[in-house]
Amino acid sequence: MDPLLMGAIIGMATIIVLFSGISVAVGLLVISCFFLIVFDGFRSVELVPEIFSGKINNFALLSIPMFIIMGAAISSTRAGADLYEALDRWLTRVPGGLVISNLGACALFAAMSGSSPATCAAIGKMGIPEMRKRGYPDEVAAGSIAAGGTLGILIPPSVTMIVFGIATETSIGRLFLAGVMPGLLLVALFMAWSIYQTWRTGDTNVLSGRSFSMKEKLEVLPKVLPFLGIIVAVLYALYGGIATPSETAAVGALACIIVAVVLYKLWSVQSIWVVLRDSTRESVMILFIIGAAGAFSYMLSSLFITQSIAEWIGTLDVNRWVLMGAINLFLLLAGFFLPPVAVIIMAAPILQPIVTNAGFDIYWFAVILTINMEIGLISPPVGLNLYVINGIAPDIPLKKILAGSIPYVFSMVLAIIILCIFPGIATWFPDLIMGPATFG
Amino acid sequence: MSGHAHELRVANHGDNPVLKAIGILSSICGIVSALTIFGAVALTCQMIFVRYVLNESTVWQTEMVVFMMVSATMLGLPYVQKLRGHVNVDLLPMLLSPKPRFVLFIITNLCTIAVILVMVIYGYTYFEYNFDRNIRSDSVWGPVLWPLYLSVPVGFALYLLQILADFYGGLTGIEKPFGLKDEERL
Repeated sequence: MDPLLMGAIIGMATIIVLFSGISVAVGLLVISCFFLIVFDGFRSVELVPEIFSGKINNFALLSIPMFIIMGAAISSTRAGADLYEALDRWLTRVPGGLVISNLGACALFAAMSGSSPATCAAIGKMGIPEMRKRGYPDEVAAGSIAAGGTLGILIPPSVTMIVFGIATETSIGRLFLAGVMPGLLLVALFMAWSIYQTWRTGDTNVLSGRSFSMKEKLEVLPKVLPFLGIIVAVLYALYGGIATPSETAAVGALACIIVAVVLYKLWSVQSIWVVLRDSTRESVMILFIIGAAGAFSYMLSSLFITQSIAEWIGTLDVNRWVLMGAINLFLLLAGFFLPPVAVIIMAAPILQPIVTNAGFDIYWFAVILTINMEIGLISPPVGLNLYVINGIAPDIPLKKILAGSIPYVFSMVLAIIILCIFPGIATWFPDLIMGPATFG
Repeated sequence: MSGHAHELRVANHGDNPVLKAIGILSSICGIVSALTIFGAVALTCQMIFVRYVLNESTVWQTEMVVFMMVSATMLGLPYVQKLRGHVNVDLLPMLLSPKPRFVLFIITNLCTIAVILVMVIYGYTYFEYNFDRNIRSDSVWGPVLWPLYLSVPVGFALYLLQILADFYGGLTGIEKPFGLKDEERL
C-alpha cells in the first residue's frame, strides 16, 4: 500500500481511538501494535516493549519529574497567595494595578511551577474574588486568570518545552530562553486587553487601586523571595553551564521541598505525601505517554510513513507561509482536544524536518507550537483552565468564563502573527545568551 | 496538566474484597514509586555534590538515577490508574447515550487489556533474553540490565490487575463507564 494512504488511514484511526475515552498512552500503544501487526506481521510487536523502555531510559527525561516536584511543592504552599499579595502591594500605583498584578503573578508563578492549571488555581483563588470585589467585570476576572495560567507552559522552566526538546533532540536550555520574550509579549497583550475591557465595560474607578505603605510593601517580600531565588538559581545554573537541566531541576526540586517544609511549615507527613503523590501521578502519566509515543513513532517510521509525509510535503510547491498556516491550523485543532504533551510528543518529530526544510527556525517553531497548545487550554471542549476557573469560582457561569477567555485567545493568535512577522522576538534572547544556534 | 484544582478521583471498589485488595496493591506500588522518584532527586543532588563540590568523578549515579526513574514509572502505572490520572479524551463517550457508551466501554477495555498483555508477554521475553545472557550496560559501572527490564513486565502486569478491577467495576455497575454520569452528554 502507498505509505501516504496508509498514513491517512492511521491518522484517522488514531483520532478515533484517542477520542474513544481510552487513556492517551494506551491508545497510542493500541494503534502502534494494531498497524504493526496488520502491515508488518505479528512478530513486529515483539519489539514494542523494548522500544517503550528504551524511550524512557533517558537521563534528559529526569528533568520532567524534577520540575514537576518543584511545581507541586510550590503549589502546595501559600506561595501563590503571597506572590499575589506582594505584586498587588507593589503595583498598586500602576493603572489597572490589580489586573496587572494578577497577570504578573500568573507569569511569575508560571515560571515557578511550570504548570498551567496549577498557575490558574494558585493565583485565581486569590485573584478572582479580589478583582470581583473591586468591581472588575466577571469576564475580565475569569478570562485574565485563565489566559495568564496558560503562560505556565511557555515561560521557563516549562515541562512542555522539555518534552519538545527531547522529542526533537534540540537544546532544552535554548528552548527555555526562546519562551521568555514571547511570554512577556503575551503578558503585555493580556494586560492591554484587560485594561481596555475594564475601561470599556466596567467602572473605570476600579482601575486605580488603594495605596500601601512602604512597611506593608516590604513585609511581604521575605515570603516570596526564597522561591524566586530558587528559580533564579536554577536558571543561572542552567545557563551558566554549571549543570544539565536534569541536575539543576533535581537541586531545585529538593530546595523547593525544603523551603516548603521550613518556611511554610509543611512538615506533616500527610502534606509532604500530597506533594509526592501529585508529582508521581503527573510524572508517570507524562512518561507513560512519552514511552507509548516512542512506540507510535517507531510504527510510523518502520512503515515509512514519517519519511513519505516529509517527502510529499517537500514536493508540494506551496509557499512556506501557507505551509506554516496549515501546520498552525493542525496544531490548533489537535490542541483543542489533546493534552499539550501528547500533541508535542506525537507531532514534533514528524513536523521537525518539514519545518526546518521550509527554512524556519526550530526554536521559533517550538514557541509557535506552545502558544497553539496554550490556546487549547482555554478553548472548549477540553480547555482545562476553564474548568479550573469554574472549580475555584463556581458562581461565575462557564459561559461567562468562556466569553471572557475568547478575547485572550485572539491575543494569542495576534501574538503568533507578531512572531511570524518578527521571529527575532523568540530567537534574539537565546542567541544573545547562548550564541547563534547551530543546526545539523 | 496537573489536577491540583480538582478533587482527587479514586477507583471505587464498592466493598468488593478483591477489588479492595487490588486497590491496596496499587497504592503500595504508588508509595514505592513516589519514594523511588524522591530517591532519584536525592541521588542526583548527591551526584552534583560529589562532582561539583568534591570535584570527584561519578561512576554509577547517572545510570542508577535513570534506572530508578524507569522503574518508578513502571511501578507507578497501576497507582496512577487507580487515581484516574492517565489522561484521556472522552469526546466519543460524551456523544453517546448510555447503552452504546457501555458497548464502547467494553471495546476500549478489551483493547487496553490486549495491548497490555502484549507489553507483559514481550516485556518478559526481553527480560528473559537479558537475564539468560547476563547482559551488562557498556558503561564504566557496567551493571546487569535485567532488573531494569524486569520492571516492564512487572509494572504492566500490576497495571493490568488494576485495569481488570476497574473493568469489572464498570461491568457490574460499581462505577459508571468512563466515570461519566448517564446525563453527562455533549
